[in-house]
Amino acid sequence: MTTRHEVARAEGRDLRLSRWFDAPRELVFRAWTEPEHMAQWWGPHDFTTPVCELDPRPGGVLLLHMQAPGGAIMPNEGEFHEVDPPALLTFTLRAFPDERGEARLHVLVTAAFAEARGGTELTLKVDVLRAVDMEGPLSGMEQGWSQSLEKLRDLLAAPRGRA
Amino acid sequence: MTSMEARHLDDTFAALADPTRRAILDQLSRGEATVNELAEPFQMSLPAVSRHLKVLERAGLVTRHRRAQFRPCRLEAAPLAEAVGWLERYRRIWEASFDRLDDYLKTMQRENDDDDTP
Repeated sequence: MTTRHEVARAEGRDLRLSRWFDAPRELVFRAWTEPEHMAQWWGPHDFTTPVCELDPRPGGVLLLHMQAPGGAIMPNEGEFHEVDPPALLTFTLRAFPDERGEARLHVLVTAAFAEARGGTELTLKVDVLRAVDMEGPLSGMEQGWSQSLEKLRDLLAAPRGRA
Repeated sequence: MTSMEARHLDDTFAALADPTRRAILDQLSRGEATVNELAEPFQMSLPAVSRHLKVLERAGLVTRHRRAQFRPCRLEAAPLAEAVGWLERYRRIWEASFDRLDDYLKTMQRENDDDDTP
C-alpha cells in the first residue's frame, strides 16, 4: 500500500555528522547498501530491524522497519537517488506515520565516503524536508532516565572554580 | 516558533549562560538541595545564590517546595529538553547507529578474513 506524501516546503534545518571508521570504504558502503548488513547496525542500541529491503540504484526502494525493545515497530520507507559506489549515497526516508498514514518526518540523507588515515571518513548530511509534531515520537526512543540524566550532566559540564 | 516560545528559550539560554548557574544545575541533577547546601561549594553569600536561583526559577529549570522548615530546590529538566529539542535527539539516534556500525564493521572484517583463509 502506498500512501501519498506531501513534501512540505523545506524546513531548512539539517544535521551534519562525521565519523571515522577503521575499515575500507568499499566495506562501509556495502554495510549501507546490503540489507543483511544494514539490518545489523541500523537504529538505536537494543533495536532490531526485522524488515530490511534495499534496492540501491536511482529510484530503488528502501524499507526499514525498526523494532523497539518493547516490541513497537517503527517503519521507515523511501527511495535512493544517487548511488555511486564506494563514494556517495543519497536517499529519502519517511518515518513516524500519523493516524492517516502520513509520515511526520521526511529527510534527505547524503552519505559521502572518503578514504582517510587508512580507513573511511563518513560525512553525513540529513536535510529535514518535513517534521511535524516530532517531540513525542522521539522521546519514546531514548532509553531510560539515567541515560538522559547523564547526557544532561554532559550538557551542563563546565569548568568552575570550586574551593 | 511563536514569540512566547522564543522568549521562553531566551530565558533558558540566559539561565545556562552563567557558569555558577550551570554548576548549580549540575548539583541539582544529583538530587535536591537547600540554598545553604548549594552555596557551600562556592563560598558565595546566600543572597548571591538566591539571585542565581531566581534566574533559574524564572526559566522553569528549578522549582522550590517545602519540607518541614526547609525549602529545597529541585531540578526540572523539561525546559532543558525543549531547548535541546527533537533535532538533537534525532542526531543522537544517528550517532547511536554509527556506534553500532563501528562495531559491526569489525565483525564484517573478521568474517572477510575467515573467508580468505585457505
